[in-house]
Amino acid sequence: MPIVILMCVLLLPAQSWAGWLWGQGDEGAAQVQVTEPYITWRTGPAIGYPVFHTSEKGEWLTIQQRKTSWIKVTDSRGREGWVSVADMAQTIDATGNRIELRVPDFESFGNRRVEAGIMMGQFDGAPVTAGYGGFWMTRNLSAELWASQILGSASEIRMVNANLLHQPFPHWRVSPFFTLGIGHIWVDPKATLDQPEERDNSIGHAGLGVRAYITDRYFIRAEVKDYKVFTNRSTNEEATEWKIGLSIFF
Amino acid sequence: MENRTKYLFLKQLGLVAGVCVASSAAAQDDRPLIEPDVTPVPVTEALIDTENFEIGAFVGVLNIEDFESSLVYGGKLTYHLSESFFFEAGVGLAEGGETSFEKLAGDVEVLTDSDRDYLYYNINLGYNVLPGEAFFTENYAFNTNFYLIAGAGATDFAGDTRFTLNAGAGYQILLTDSVSIHLGVRQHYYRIDVLGAEKTSVNTEISTGLSVFF
Repeated sequence: MPIVILMCVLLLPAQSWAGWLWGQGDEGAAQVQVTEPYITWRTGPAIGYPVFHTSEKGEWLTIQQRKTSWIKVTDSRGREGWVSVADMAQTIDATGNRIELRVPDFESFGNRRVEAGIMMGQFDGAPVTAGYGGFWMTRNLSAELWASQILGSASEIRMVNANLLHQPFPHWRVSPFFTLGIGHIWVDPKATLDQPEERDNSIGHAGLGVRAYITDRYFIRAEVKDYKVFTNRSTNEEATEWKIGLSIFF
Repeated sequence: MENRTKYLFLKQLGLVAGVCVASSAAAQDDRPLIEPDVTPVPVTEALIDTENFEIGAFVGVLNIEDFESSLVYGGKLTYHLSESFFFEAGVGLAEGGETSFEKLAGDVEVLTDSDRDYLYYNINLGYNVLPGEAFFTENYAFNTNFYLIAGAGATDFAGDTRFTLNAGAGYQILLTDSVSIHLGVRQHYYRIDVLGAEKTSVNTEISTGLSVFF
């Protein structure tokens, strides 16, 4: 009996997710009308797919889903195809207004609140991979959190950092910035070394870098940071790191 | 008298009513017979289901240099930046076998059992070079992508975590717009010194996976 109940419970939502699985979700049923002389349909969500159909001015299309900058539509006769977001932005909805499709541009880049990215480079000669997330408090000032992994020939280093970042020229397409932060570092020497000594220390860093807006939601970021490792020995250690990576903003 | 008053008023009333009916009928001519009982909803981005993420699992064979071939399985999370570019984060698990030296020498063990557990993780950038269609019988066409992919990450094997580069290619067949099959080949490169001198270990992975978009 419990198995029967379990089966019922498992099968109940099947109807709801079957639609999603087969890409025929009717829930939104957002309808738009073509206002341009015609718009072209492609068989897939990329410019490489062939055009196989066009919709004339006045035809109503139903929006099914979106993938990157392509929207899947169906028409009244049940045909399915992909139309570019740029073409869809020229259509009107039932209220007679242009449909709201924001294509992120340089202006939205300037007004971003959140950014995140992945960067790779070198930390004191060893390869480093890092990920970060940043929150913009003003157009000039942001706070960031970082996690890095450095895999050297002698040790594995993990590092977390929090930093404040200032960009003096937020309206520039290629915009420089300065940063200051603190963090913690864990050094785990390789097992093949003679005297492995695990240690962890606080660190502080200063850096400068540059962001360059590319297109859509993406920008390239490159930076150089100088780290000071606060050891409990008589001298502190220093390390220089450079990284380059791709970031996305919202 | 009463009759006459009634007659006068009713006549006028009838006339007014008649005009009213006529005018309202004329006004109704422009409108559809049945008014649709729905208020138009503006189409906004929130209404559109955007599927740029893809999550999947894979299984295959990983040839670990010096340590035999192993079953490899893992997961992938992909974010499609555009129709051409995508980010992929992947994790894979395998197990290293015995080296030829261990087999020949008998009861020698280069690595402990736990050191033979092979774990890799990486972040990659992919590029859809050849979007296309595959035709299955005369009724079905599946969208496909042939992509190149490369990235960096780490391999946890033989007691240490090693910086690992990887590069490869894959073929994706979209069964529906939300479900796809992947066939892929990947080379993993890292420096290792477990068997004497340090060298670059080249590990080939061939895998098959299933993924869903969300």
